Amino acid sequence: MSHDVPVCKIMMNNARSEPGHVFEALGVTKRFGGVVAVDNVDLRLKTGEVLAVVGDNGAGKSTLIKAITGALSRDEGQLYFDGQAVQIDSPTAAKSAGIETVYQDLALVNELTVTKNIFLGREIVRDDFLGRVFGFLDFRRMDNEVRALFGKLNIRITDIYREAEAFSGGQRQAVALSKTVMFGKRVAILDEPTAALGVRESQMAMDLVTSLKDHGLSVIMITHNMQHVLHYCDRVMVLRLGRHIATRNVSEVDGDSLVALITGANEPQAAQA
Amino acid sequence: MNEQVEQGVPPESQRLSRDALMHQVRQIGQVFLALVAIYAVFYALSEPFRNVNTLFTIMTQASILAILACGTTVVLISGGLDLSVGSIFAVVGVVVGIMLINFELPVWLAIVIGLATGAFCGFLNGMVQVFSGVPAFIVTLGGLTAYKGIAELLGSGQDLSRFPDSFRMLGTGFVMPISIMFASALIIGIFLRMTRLGNHAYAIGGNEEVARLSGVAVARSRVIYYTIGGFMAATAAIVEVSKLNFAQSSRGQSYELFAIAAVVIGGTSLFGGRGGVGKTIIGMMIMQTIIVGLAYLGVGTSVQRIAIGVIIILAVFLDMRNRPKR
Repeated sequence: MSHDVPVCKIMMNNARSEPGHVFEALGVTKRFGGVVAVDNVDLRLKTGEVLAVVGDNGAGKSTLIKAITGALSRDEGQLYFDGQAVQIDSPTAAKSAGIETVYQDLALVNELTVTKNIFLGREIVRDDFLGRVFGFLDFRRMDNEVRALFGKLNIRITDIYREAEAFSGGQRQAVALSKTVMFGKRVAILDEPTAALGVRESQMAMDLVTSLKDHGLSVIMITHNMQHVLHYCDRVMVLRLGRHIATRNVSEVDGDSLVALITGANEPQAAQA
Repeated sequence: MNEQVEQGVPPESQRLSRDALMHQVRQIGQVFLALVAIYAVFYALSEPFRNVNTLFTIMTQASILAILACGTTVVLISGGLDLSVGSIFAVVGVVVGIMLINFELPVWLAIVIGLATGAFCGFLNGMVQVFSGVPAFIVTLGGLTAYKGIAELLGSGQDLSRFPDSFRMLGTGFVMPISIMFASALIIGIFLRMTRLGNHAYAIGGNEEVARLSGVAVARSRVIYYTIGGFMAATAAIVEVSKLNFAQSSRGQSYELFAIAAVVIGGTSLFGGRGGVGKTIIGMMIMQTIIVGLAYLGVGTSVQRIAIGVIIILAVFLDMRNRPKR
Protein backbone atom coordinates (compact mmCIF):
# COMPACT_ATOMS: atom_id res chain seq x y z
CA MET A 1 0.00 0.00 0.00
CA SER A 2 1.58 3.14 -1.20
CA HIS A 3 0.40 5.46 1.60
CA ASP A 4 1.74 3.32 4.42
CA VAL A 5 4.88 5.33 4.82
CA PRO A 6 3.29 8.84 4.93
CA VAL A 7 0.71 7.60 7.44
CA CYS A 8 3.49 6.38 9.70
CA LYS A 9 5.30 9.68 9.46
CA ILE A 10 2.18 11.61 10.43
CA MET A 11 1.62 9.31 13.40
CA MET A 12 5.19 9.73 14.49
CA ASN A 13 4.95 13.50 14.30
CA ASN A 14 1.80 13.43 16.38
CA ALA A 15 3.72 12.21 19.41
CA ARG A 16 5.50 15.15 20.97
CA SER A 17 8.03 15.32 23.73
CA GLU A 18 6.43 16.18 27.08
CA PRO A 19 8.07 17.86 30.07
CA GLY A 20 8.88 15.86 33.21
CA HIS A 21 10.38 12.96 31.32
CA VAL A 22 14.06 12.14 31.43
CA PHE A 23 13.85 9.97 28.34
CA GLU A 24 11.35 9.42 25.57
CA ALA A 25 11.30 7.11 22.58
CA LEU A 26 8.46 8.17 20.31
CA GLY A 27 6.99 6.49 17.28
CA VAL A 28 9.39 3.54 17.44
CA THR A 29 8.81 1.03 14.66
CA LYS A 30 10.89 -2.03 13.86
CA ARG A 31 10.11 -4.40 11.01
CA PHE A 32 11.70 -7.75 10.26
CA GLY A 33 10.92 -8.23 6.59
CA GLY A 34 7.13 -8.13 6.41
CA VAL A 35 6.66 -8.59 10.15
CA VAL A 36 6.12 -5.45 12.21
CA ALA A 37 7.69 -6.46 15.53
CA VAL A 38 7.28 -3.03 17.12
CA ASP A 39 4.55 -0.81 15.73
CA ASN A 40 4.72 2.94 16.38
CA VAL A 41 5.31 2.62 20.13
CA ASP A 42 5.74 5.64 22.40
CA LEU A 43 7.76 5.05 25.56
CA ARG A 44 8.02 7.80 28.15
CA LEU A 45 10.24 7.48 31.20
CA LYS A 46 9.77 9.88 34.12
CA THR A 47 12.73 11.06 36.09
CA GLY A 48 13.58 8.71 38.96
CA GLU A 49 10.96 6.04 38.29
CA VAL A 50 11.07 2.33 37.61
CA LEU A 51 8.96 1.68 34.52
CA ALA A 52 7.99 -1.93 33.90
CA VAL A 53 7.50 -3.11 30.34
CA VAL A 54 5.26 -6.15 30.22
CA GLY A 55 3.65 -8.26 27.54
CA ASP A 56 3.27 -11.82 26.38
CA ASN A 57 5.98 -13.63 24.44
CA GLY A 58 6.32 -11.98 21.05
CA ALA A 59 4.81 -8.71 22.26
CA GLY A 60 7.95 -6.91 21.11
CA LYS A 61 9.47 -6.01 24.48
CA SER A 62 13.04 -7.06 23.76
CA THR A 63 12.86 -5.73 20.21
CA LEU A 64 11.67 -2.36 21.50
CA ILE A 65 14.57 -2.22 23.95
CA LYS A 66 17.10 -3.20 21.31
CA ALA A 67 15.70 -0.64 18.88
CA ILE A 68 16.05 2.05 21.55
CA THR A 69 19.60 1.14 22.55
CA GLY A 70 20.99 0.89 19.04
CA ALA A 71 21.53 -2.87 19.23
CA LEU A 72 19.03 -3.11 16.35
CA SER A 73 18.48 -0.41 13.76
CA ARG A 74 15.12 1.37 13.98
CA ASP A 75 12.84 1.82 10.99
CA GLU A 76 11.08 4.77 12.62
CA GLY A 77 11.33 6.62 15.87
CA GLN A 78 12.90 9.58 17.58
CA LEU A 79 14.60 9.63 20.97
CA TYR A 80 14.63 12.52 23.42
CA PHE A 81 16.61 13.27 26.57
CA ASP A 82 14.94 16.01 28.64
CA GLY A 83 12.93 16.97 25.59
CA GLN A 84 16.03 17.33 23.42
CA ALA A 85 16.16 15.09 20.35
CA VAL A 86 19.17 12.78 20.37
CA GLN A 87 20.64 10.53 17.72
CA ILE A 88 21.34 6.98 18.92
CA ASP A 89 22.22 4.40 16.28
CA SER A 90 24.69 2.10 18.06
CA PRO A 91 25.23 0.61 21.53
CA THR A 92 28.19 2.94 21.93
CA ALA A 93 26.08 6.00 21.09
CA ALA A 94 23.47 4.88 23.63
CA LYS A 95 26.14 4.54 26.30
CA SER A 96 27.61 7.94 25.66
CA ALA A 97 24.11 9.43 25.78
CA GLY A 98 23.78 7.96 29.29
CA ILE A 99 21.77 4.79 28.67
CA GLU A 100 23.18 1.63 30.23
CA THR A 101 21.57 -1.67 29.22
CA VAL A 102 21.68 -5.11 30.81
CA TYR A 103 20.64 -7.61 28.17
CA GLN A 104 19.23 -10.95 29.12
CA ASP A 105 21.89 -13.68 28.63
CA LEU A 106 24.21 -11.12 27.05
CA ALA A 107 25.42 -9.30 30.11
CA LEU A 108 28.78 -10.87 30.91
CA VAL A 109 31.63 -12.66 29.17
CA ASN A 110 32.17 -15.88 31.13
CA GLU A 111 35.89 -15.96 30.47
CA LEU A 112 36.63 -12.48 31.84
CA THR A 113 37.15 -11.50 35.47
CA VAL A 114 34.59 -9.38 37.29
CA THR A 115 36.64 -6.23 36.87
CA LYS A 116 37.27 -6.82 33.17
CA ASN A 117 33.58 -7.49 32.63
CA ILE A 118 32.48 -4.30 34.31
CA PHE A 119 34.97 -2.22 32.35
CA LEU A 120 34.59 -4.10 29.06
CA GLY A 121 34.62 -1.57 26.24
CA ARG A 122 35.42 1.27 28.66
CA GLU A 123 38.70 0.18 30.17
CA ILE A 124 40.82 2.69 32.03
CA VAL A 125 44.26 2.98 30.48
CA ARG A 126 47.37 4.00 32.33
CA ASP A 127 47.99 7.69 32.61
CA ASP A 128 51.40 7.53 30.99
CA PHE A 129 53.11 6.93 27.67
CA LEU A 130 52.36 3.18 27.71
CA GLY A 131 48.71 3.82 28.38
CA ARG A 132 48.19 6.56 25.84
CA VAL A 133 50.17 4.98 23.00
CA PHE A 134 49.76 1.24 23.53
CA GLY A 135 46.59 1.10 25.59
CA PHE A 136 48.19 -0.44 28.68
CA LEU A 137 45.45 -0.94 31.24
CA ASP A 138 45.38 0.50 34.73
CA PHE A 139 44.25 -2.64 36.55
CA ARG A 140 44.81 -1.23 40.02
CA ARG A 141 42.54 1.73 39.38
CA MET A 142 39.83 -0.41 37.79
CA ASP A 143 39.97 -2.89 40.69
CA ASN A 144 39.70 -0.06 43.20
CA GLU A 145 36.72 1.46 41.41
CA VAL A 146 34.96 -1.90 41.33
CA ARG A 147 35.58 -2.40 45.07
CA ALA A 148 34.24 1.07 45.78
CA LEU A 149 31.20 0.39 43.59
CA PHE A 150 30.44 -2.93 45.28
CA GLY A 151 30.82 -1.25 48.66
CA LYS A 152 28.36 1.46 47.64
CA LEU A 153 25.82 -1.08 46.38
CA ASN A 154 26.43 -3.52 49.23
CA ILE A 155 27.39 -6.26 46.79
CA ARG A 156 29.52 -8.76 48.63
CA ILE A 157 31.73 -10.08 45.89
CA THR A 158 35.30 -9.67 47.01
CA ASP A 159 37.00 -11.95 44.55
CA ILE A 160 36.95 -9.62 41.60
CA TYR A 161 39.89 -11.43 39.96
CA ARG A 162 37.80 -14.49 39.32
CA GLU A 163 36.16 -15.24 35.99
CA ALA A 164 32.46 -14.48 35.74
CA GLU A 165 31.55 -18.11 35.08
CA ALA A 166 32.63 -19.02 38.61
CA PHE A 167 29.75 -17.08 40.15
CA SER A 168 26.13 -17.93 40.85
CA GLY A 169 23.29 -16.48 38.78
CA GLY A 170 22.49 -13.94 41.47
CA GLN A 171 26.06 -12.80 41.77
CA ARG A 172 26.38 -12.50 38.00
CA GLN A 173 23.23 -10.41 37.85
CA ALA A 174 24.56 -8.21 40.66
CA VAL A 175 27.74 -7.64 38.66
CA ALA A 176 25.75 -6.82 35.52
CA LEU A 177 23.44 -4.45 37.38
CA SER A 178 26.37 -2.71 39.04
CA LYS A 179 27.58 -1.72 35.59
CA THR A 180 24.55 0.52 35.22
CA VAL A 181 25.55 2.46 38.33
CA MET A 182 29.20 2.64 37.27
CA PHE A 183 28.44 4.05 33.84
CA GLY A 184 24.73 4.81 33.48
CA LYS A 185 24.47 8.54 33.75
CA ARG A 186 20.71 8.76 33.26
CA VAL A 187 18.84 5.63 32.27
CA ALA A 188 19.21 1.93 33.06
CA ILE A 189 17.43 -0.55 30.80
CA LEU A 190 17.09 -4.07 32.17
CA ASP A 191 15.87 -7.02 30.13
CA GLU A 192 14.37 -9.54 32.55
CA PRO A 193 16.90 -9.10 35.36
CA THR A 194 15.45 -12.03 37.31
CA ALA A 195 14.82 -14.44 34.44
CA ALA A 196 17.25 -17.17 35.48
CA LEU A 197 17.18 -16.59 39.22
CA GLY A 198 15.67 -18.44 42.16
CA VAL A 199 13.22 -16.79 44.56
CA ARG A 200 15.77 -15.48 47.05
CA GLU A 201 18.18 -14.33 44.38
CA SER A 202 15.34 -12.62 42.49
CA GLN A 203 14.48 -10.65 45.59
CA MET A 204 18.09 -9.52 46.01
CA ALA A 205 18.29 -8.52 42.37
CA MET A 206 15.06 -6.53 42.63
CA ASP A 207 16.30 -4.76 45.76
CA LEU A 208 19.35 -3.82 43.76
CA VAL A 209 17.13 -2.61 40.90
CA THR A 210 15.12 -0.30 43.16
CA SER A 211 18.35 0.98 44.73
CA LEU A 212 19.41 2.17 41.27
CA LYS A 213 16.95 5.03 41.82
CA ASP A 214 19.04 6.19 44.77
CA HIS A 215 21.98 6.49 42.43
CA GLY A 216 20.23 8.90 40.12
CA LEU A 217 19.04 6.43 37.53
CA SER A 218 15.65 6.10 35.94
CA VAL A 219 14.91 2.49 35.13
CA ILE A 220 13.11 0.69 32.32
CA MET A 221 12.66 -2.97 33.15
CA ILE A 222 11.23 -5.79 31.07
CA THR A 223 9.70 -8.46 33.23
CA HIS A 224 7.31 -11.38 33.18
CA ASN A 225 6.83 -11.32 36.92
CA MET A 226 3.64 -9.50 37.93
CA GLN A 227 4.64 -9.61 41.60
CA HIS A 228 7.78 -7.67 40.76
CA VAL A 229 5.75 -5.11 38.81
CA LEU A 230 3.37 -4.55 41.72
CA HIS A 231 6.06 -4.51 44.41
CA TYR A 232 8.98 -2.72 42.88
CA CYS A 233 7.80 -0.58 39.93
CA ASP A 234 6.18 2.84 39.70
CA ARG A 235 4.45 2.55 36.34
CA VAL A 236 3.80 -0.26 33.94
CA MET A 237 3.65 -0.19 30.16
CA VAL A 238 1.82 -3.00 28.37
CA LEU A 239 2.71 -4.21 24.88
CA ARG A 240 0.71 -6.65 22.80
CA LEU A 241 1.70 -7.90 19.34
CA GLY A 242 4.10 -5.03 18.88
CA ARG A 243 1.60 -2.32 19.88
CA HIS A 244 1.48 -0.08 22.90
CA ILE A 245 -1.74 -1.02 24.72
CA ALA A 246 -1.60 1.06 27.90
CA THR A 247 0.63 2.70 30.45
CA ARG A 248 -0.71 2.80 34.03
CA ASN A 249 0.45 3.78 37.45
CA VAL A 250 1.11 0.61 39.42
CA SER A 251 -1.19 1.92 42.17
CA GLU A 252 -4.10 1.81 39.68
CA VAL A 253 -3.71 -1.84 38.69
CA ASP A 254 -3.70 -5.29 40.25
CA GLY A 255 -2.52 -8.64 38.98
CA ASP A 256 -5.81 -9.49 37.27
CA SER A 257 -6.21 -6.20 35.45
CA LEU A 258 -2.59 -6.39 34.27
CA VAL A 259 -3.07 -9.89 32.91
CA ALA A 260 -6.25 -8.71 31.19
CA LEU A 261 -4.31 -5.89 29.54
CA ILE A 262 -1.53 -8.25 28.47
CA THR A 263 -3.82 -10.87 26.98
CA GLY A 264 -6.50 -8.47 25.72
CA ALA A 265 -9.20 -10.42 27.58
CA ASN A 266 -11.35 -7.33 28.19
CA GLU A 267 -11.11 -5.94 24.71
CA PRO A 268 -12.70 -8.29 22.20
CA GLN A 269 -12.87 -5.50 19.63
CA ALA A 270 -9.12 -4.93 19.90
CA ALA A 271 -8.50 -8.60 19.26
CA GLN A 272 -10.46 -8.39 16.02
CA ALA A 273 -8.65 -5.32 14.77
CA MET B 1 19.89 -2.54 50.87
CA ASN B 2 19.59 -6.21 51.49
CA GLU B 3 22.14 -7.33 54.03
CA GLN B 4 21.81 -10.93 52.99
CA VAL B 5 23.43 -10.53 49.59
CA GLU B 6 25.66 -13.53 49.04
CA GLN B 7 25.86 -14.46 52.64
CA GLY B 8 28.92 -16.47 53.54
CA VAL B 9 31.13 -15.11 50.82
CA PRO B 10 33.23 -12.67 52.86
CA PRO B 11 34.90 -15.30 55.10
CA GLU B 12 35.81 -17.27 51.98
CA SER B 13 37.07 -14.32 50.00
CA GLN B 14 40.71 -14.86 50.81
CA ARG B 15 40.50 -18.48 49.89
CA LEU B 16 38.68 -17.69 46.64
CA SER B 17 41.28 -15.16 45.64
CA ARG B 18 44.07 -17.61 46.18
CA ASP B 19 42.06 -20.21 44.31
CA ALA B 20 41.75 -17.96 41.27
CA LEU B 21 45.49 -17.38 41.24
CA MET B 22 46.22 -21.04 41.83
CA HIS B 23 43.91 -21.92 38.97
CA GLN B 24 46.11 -19.95 36.58
CA VAL B 25 49.31 -21.41 38.02
CA ARG B 26 47.88 -24.91 37.94
CA GLN B 27 46.85 -24.61 34.32
CA ILE B 28 50.25 -23.57 33.01
CA GLY B 29 51.93 -25.82 35.58
CA GLN B 30 50.06 -28.84 34.24
CA VAL B 31 51.34 -28.34 30.72
CA PHE B 32 54.82 -27.67 32.00
CA LEU B 33 54.72 -30.85 34.09
CA ALA B 34 53.59 -32.77 31.02
CA LEU B 35 56.63 -31.42 29.17
CA VAL B 36 58.97 -32.39 32.02
CA ALA B 37 57.42 -35.84 32.22
CA ILE B 38 57.74 -36.46 28.49
CA TYR B 39 61.30 -35.20 28.58
CA ALA B 40 62.06 -37.49 31.51
CA VAL B 41 60.78 -40.52 29.63
CA PHE B 42 63.09 -39.84 26.69
CA TYR B 43 65.88 -39.01 29.13
CA ALA B 44 65.57 -42.50 30.54
CA LEU B 45 65.22 -44.23 27.18
CA SER B 46 67.70 -42.42 25.02
CA GLU B 47 71.40 -41.79 25.61
CA PRO B 48 71.66 -38.53 23.57
CA PHE B 49 68.83 -36.93 25.60
CA ARG B 50 71.17 -36.78 28.58
CA ASN B 51 73.30 -34.26 26.72
CA VAL B 52 72.20 -30.68 27.42
CA ASN B 53 72.77 -29.83 23.77
CA THR B 54 69.72 -31.88 22.92
CA LEU B 55 67.58 -29.47 24.92
CA PHE B 56 68.97 -26.58 22.89
CA THR B 57 68.46 -28.49 19.66
CA ILE B 58 64.82 -29.06 20.56
CA MET B 59 64.32 -25.43 21.49
CA THR B 60 65.96 -24.27 18.27
CA GLN B 61 63.83 -26.60 16.21
CA ALA B 62 60.75 -25.46 18.08
CA SER B 63 61.62 -21.78 17.76
CA ILE B 64 60.52 -21.06 14.19
CA LEU B 65 57.13 -22.72 14.56
CA ALA B 66 56.77 -21.26 18.05
CA ILE B 67 57.26 -17.72 16.73
CA LEU B 68 54.55 -18.34 14.15
CA ALA B 69 52.34 -19.96 16.78
CA CYS B 70 52.48 -16.82 18.94
CA GLY B 71 50.38 -15.11 16.26
CA THR B 72 48.11 -18.15 15.96
CA THR B 73 47.51 -17.94 19.71
CA VAL B 74 46.18 -14.39 19.43
CA VAL B 75 43.88 -15.32 16.53
CA LEU B 76 42.53 -18.43 18.28
CA ILE B 77 41.94 -16.60 21.59
CA SER B 78 39.83 -14.06 19.70
CA GLY B 79 37.71 -16.92 18.38
CA GLY B 80 39.23 -16.73 14.90
CA LEU B 81 41.16 -19.19 12.80
CA ASP B 82 43.93 -18.63 10.27
CA LEU B 83 44.82 -21.52 7.99
CA SER B 84 46.83 -19.33 5.64
CA VAL B 85 49.83 -18.47 7.82
CA GLY B 86 51.91 -21.31 6.35
CA SER B 87 51.43 -19.80 2.90
CA ILE B 88 52.07 -16.28 4.19
CA PHE B 89 55.29 -17.77 5.57
CA ALA B 90 56.20 -18.93 2.02
CA VAL B 91 55.37 -15.54 0.46
CA VAL B 92 57.49 -13.67 2.99
CA GLY B 93 60.43 -16.06 2.57
CA VAL B 94 60.41 -15.54 -1.20
CA VAL B 95 59.92 -11.78 -0.92
CA VAL B 96 62.84 -11.41 1.49
CA GLY B 97 64.98 -13.61 -0.76
CA ILE B 98 64.15 -11.48 -3.80
CA MET B 99 64.88 -8.28 -1.89
CA LEU B 100 68.26 -9.56 -0.74
CA ILE B 101 69.43 -11.35 -3.90
CA ASN B 102 67.71 -9.70 -6.89
CA PHE B 103 67.48 -6.16 -5.55
CA GLU B 104 70.48 -6.37 -3.26
CA LEU B 105 68.68 -4.25 -0.69
CA PRO B 106 70.24 -3.66 2.71
CA VAL B 107 69.40 -6.43 5.18
CA TRP B 108 67.32 -4.22 7.49
CA LEU B 109 65.20 -2.98 4.59
CA ALA B 110 64.61 -6.50 3.29
CA ILE B 111 63.47 -7.52 6.77
CA VAL B 112 61.14 -4.54 7.07
CA ILE B 113 59.62 -5.29 3.67
CA GLY B 114 59.23 -8.95 4.63
CA LEU B 115 57.48 -8.11 7.91
CA ALA B 116 55.22 -5.60 6.16
CA THR B 117 54.33 -8.19 3.52
CA GLY B 118 53.31 -10.72 6.17
CA ALA B 119 51.34 -8.15 8.14
CA PHE B 120 49.56 -7.05 4.97
CA CYS B 121 48.59 -10.62 4.08
CA GLY B 122 47.12 -11.07 7.56
CA PHE B 123 45.39 -7.72 7.27
CA LEU B 124 43.77 -8.86 4.01
CA ASN B 125 42.55 -12.06 5.70
CA GLY B 126 40.89 -9.99 8.38
CA MET B 127 39.40 -7.40 6.04
CA VAL B 128 37.91 -9.96 3.67
CA GLN B 129 36.31 -11.77 6.59
CA VAL B 130 34.94 -8.72 8.31
CA PHE B 131 33.48 -7.19 5.16
CA SER B 132 32.28 -10.34 3.39
CA GLY B 133 31.00 -12.16 6.46
CA VAL B 134 32.40 -15.40 5.03
CA PRO B 135 33.60 -17.64 7.91
CA ALA B 136 37.26 -17.53 8.91
CA PHE B 137 37.75 -21.15 7.97
CA ILE B 138 36.77 -20.51 4.34
CA VAL B 139 38.50 -17.15 3.93
CA THR B 140 41.81 -18.41 5.27
CA LEU B 141 41.46 -21.71 3.42
CA GLY B 142 41.23 -19.57 0.29
CA GLY B 143 44.22 -17.61 1.57
CA LEU B 144 46.12 -20.88 2.05
CA THR B 145 46.03 -21.65 -1.67
CA ALA B 146 46.04 -18.07 -2.95
CA TYR B 147 49.12 -17.00 -1.00
CA LYS B 148 50.80 -20.25 -1.97
CA GLY B 149 50.17 -19.37 -5.60
CA ILE B 150 51.61 -15.89 -5.09
CA ALA B 151 54.72 -17.38 -3.49
CA GLU B 152 55.14 -19.71 -6.48
CA LEU B 153 54.64 -16.89 -9.00
CA LEU B 154 57.22 -14.75 -7.25
CA GLY B 155 59.73 -17.49 -6.57
CA SER B 156 59.57 -19.70 -9.64
CA GLY B 157 62.83 -20.32 -11.46
CA GLN B 158 64.87 -18.22 -9.12
CA ASP B 159 67.88 -19.18 -7.08
CA LEU B 160 67.31 -17.31 -3.84
CA SER B 161 70.23 -18.41 -1.70
CA ARG B 162 73.62 -17.46 -0.24
CA PHE B 163 72.54 -14.45 1.76
CA PRO B 164 74.83 -11.85 3.34
CA ASP B 165 76.39 -12.81 6.67
CA SER B 166 74.60 -10.10 8.58
CA PHE B 167 71.28 -11.68 7.53
CA ARG B 168 72.46 -15.23 8.25
CA MET B 169 73.12 -14.23 11.85
CA LEU B 170 69.38 -14.22 12.62
CA GLY B 171 68.74 -17.91 12.20
CA THR B 172 72.11 -19.57 12.70
CA GLY B 173 73.04 -21.36 15.90
CA PHE B 174 71.02 -21.59 19.11
CA VAL B 175 71.09 -18.12 20.53
CA MET B 176 69.31 -15.95 17.99
CA PRO B 177 66.35 -18.22 17.12
CA ILE B 178 65.70 -19.02 20.79
CA SER B 179 66.01 -15.36 21.77
CA ILE B 180 63.62 -14.28 19.02
CA MET B 181 61.18 -16.96 20.18
CA PHE B 182 61.22 -15.75 23.78
CA ALA B 183 61.09 -12.11 22.73
CA SER B 184 58.05 -12.84 20.54
CA ALA B 185 56.34 -14.69 23.36
CA LEU B 186 57.11 -11.89 25.81
CA ILE B 187 55.80 -9.14 23.55
CA ILE B 188 52.65 -11.03 22.54
CA GLY B 189 52.13 -12.08 26.17
CA ILE B 190 52.32 -8.48 27.37
CA PHE B 191 50.01 -7.44 24.54
CA LEU B 192 47.41 -10.04 25.51
CA ARG B 193 47.52 -9.50 29.26
CA MET B 194 48.24 -5.81 29.69
CA THR B 195 46.68 -3.88 26.83
CA ARG B 196 43.12 -2.97 26.00
CA LEU B 197 43.28 -4.54 22.55
CA GLY B 198 44.75 -7.74 23.98
CA ASN B 199 42.00 -8.01 26.57
CA HIS B 200 39.42 -7.51 23.87
CA ALA B 201 40.74 -10.65 22.17
CA TYR B 202 39.57 -12.66 25.19
CA ALA B 203 36.26 -10.82 25.28
CA ILE B 204 35.53 -11.30 21.57
CA GLY B 205 36.59 -14.94 21.71
CA GLY B 206 34.54 -15.47 24.85
CA ASN B 207 31.30 -13.89 23.62
CA GLU B 208 31.40 -11.74 20.53
CA GLU B 209 27.86 -10.40 20.96
CA VAL B 210 28.43 -9.28 24.55
CA ALA B 211 31.65 -7.61 23.43
CA ARG B 212 29.83 -5.80 20.62
CA LEU B 213 27.01 -4.64 22.90
CA SER B 214 29.62 -3.47 25.40
CA GLY B 215 31.06 -1.14 22.81
CA VAL B 216 34.10 -3.17 21.74
CA ALA B 217 35.09 -2.43 18.13
CA VAL B 218 34.85 -6.10 17.17
CA ALA B 219 35.54 -5.86 13.44
CA ARG B 220 38.51 -3.51 13.78
CA SER B 221 40.02 -5.62 16.57
CA ARG B 222 39.67 -8.80 14.55
CA VAL B 223 41.50 -7.26 11.60
CA ILE B 224 44.34 -6.32 13.94
CA TYR B 225 44.56 -9.86 15.36
CA TYR B 226 44.88 -11.33 11.87
CA THR B 227 47.48 -8.69 11.04
CA ILE B 228 49.47 -9.79 14.09
CA GLY B 229 49.12 -13.40 12.90
CA GLY B 230 50.59 -12.45 9.52
CA PHE B 231 53.34 -10.42 11.14
CA MET B 232 54.42 -13.34 13.35
CA ALA B 233 54.36 -15.69 10.34
CA ALA B 234 56.68 -13.21 8.62
CA THR B 235 59.02 -13.11 11.61
CA ALA B 236 59.20 -16.90 11.63
CA ALA B 237 59.82 -16.98 7.86
CA ILE B 238 62.72 -14.55 8.13
CA VAL B 239 64.37 -16.65 10.84
CA GLU B 240 63.95 -19.82 8.76
CA VAL B 241 65.20 -18.30 5.51
CA SER B 242 68.22 -17.04 7.40
CA LYS B 243 68.83 -20.43 8.98
CA LEU B 244 68.46 -22.43 5.74
CA ASN B 245 70.34 -19.85 3.64
CA PHE B 246 67.81 -20.24 0.85
CA ALA B 247 64.22 -19.22 0.17
CA GLN B 248 61.67 -21.41 -1.60
CA SER B 249 57.95 -21.16 -2.20
CA SER B 250 57.52 -24.73 -0.94
CA ARG B 251 58.49 -23.79 2.62
CA GLY B 252 55.89 -23.34 5.31
CA GLN B 253 53.72 -26.23 4.16
CA SER B 254 51.39 -27.36 6.99
CA TYR B 255 53.03 -24.93 9.42
CA GLU B 256 49.58 -23.51 10.25
CA LEU B 257 48.48 -26.96 11.39
CA PHE B 258 51.57 -27.52 13.55
CA ALA B 259 51.04 -24.09 15.06
CA ILE B 260 47.38 -24.78 15.84
CA ALA B 261 48.42 -28.15 17.31
CA ALA B 262 50.99 -26.50 19.59
CA VAL B 263 48.50 -23.84 20.71
CA VAL B 264 45.95 -26.51 21.55
CA ILE B 265 48.43 -28.83 23.27
CA GLY B 266 49.46 -25.84 25.37
CA GLY B 267 45.87 -25.47 26.53
CA THR B 268 44.57 -22.45 24.65
CA SER B 269 40.95 -23.00 23.73
CA LEU B 270 40.18 -23.65 20.08
CA PHE B 271 36.83 -22.00 20.73
CA GLY B 272 38.31 -18.73 21.93
CA GLY B 273 38.31 -16.73 25.14
CA ARG B 274 41.02 -18.62 27.01
CA GLY B 275 44.69 -19.30 26.75
CA GLY B 276 48.04 -17.65 26.60
CA VAL B 277 51.24 -17.50 24.68
CA GLY B 278 53.40 -19.08 27.40
CA LYS B 279 51.32 -22.21 27.08
CA THR B 280 51.87 -22.19 23.34
CA ILE B 281 55.65 -22.16 23.76
CA ILE B 282 55.40 -25.12 26.13
CA GLY B 283 53.00 -26.84 23.72
CA MET B 284 55.47 -26.43 20.88
CA MET B 285 58.27 -27.77 23.11
CA ILE B 286 56.17 -30.83 23.90
CA MET B 287 55.63 -31.48 20.20
CA GLN B 288 59.28 -31.06 19.31
CA THR B 289 60.45 -33.17 22.26
CA ILE B 290 58.26 -36.00 21.05
CA ILE B 291 59.42 -35.63 17.46
CA VAL B 292 63.11 -35.46 18.35
CA GLY B 293 62.80 -38.13 21.04
CA LEU B 294 61.06 -40.60 18.77
CA ALA B 295 63.64 -39.89 16.06
CA TYR B 296 66.45 -40.69 18.50
CA LEU B 297 64.69 -43.92 19.37
CA GLY B 298 64.68 -44.82 15.69
CA VAL B 299 60.95 -44.32 15.18
CA GLY B 300 60.10 -43.11 11.69
CA THR B 301 58.32 -39.89 10.76
CA SER B 302 55.08 -41.68 9.99
CA VAL B 303 54.76 -42.97 13.54
CA GLN B 304 55.80 -39.53 14.86
CA ARG B 305 52.86 -38.04 12.98
CA ILE B 306 50.49 -40.60 14.46
CA ALA B 307 51.77 -39.75 17.94
CA ILE B 308 51.28 -36.01 17.39
CA GLY B 309 47.78 -36.63 16.06
CA VAL B 310 46.80 -38.60 19.15
CA ILE B 311 48.26 -35.93 21.44
CA ILE B 312 46.27 -33.15 19.74
CA ILE B 313 43.02 -35.00 20.37
CA LEU B 314 44.07 -35.83 23.92
CA ALA B 315 44.92 -32.18 24.61
CA VAL B 316 41.51 -30.92 23.47
CA PHE B 317 39.81 -33.72 25.39
CA LEU B 318 41.59 -32.71 28.61
CA ASP B 319 40.85 -29.04 27.94
CA MET B 320 37.14 -29.73 27.57
CA ARG B 321 37.03 -31.90 30.68
CA ASN B 322 38.84 -29.35 32.85
CA ARG B 323 36.62 -26.47 31.80
CA PRO B 324 34.24 -25.21 34.47
CA LYS B 325 30.63 -26.07 33.72
CA ARG B 326 28.50 -23.24 32.42
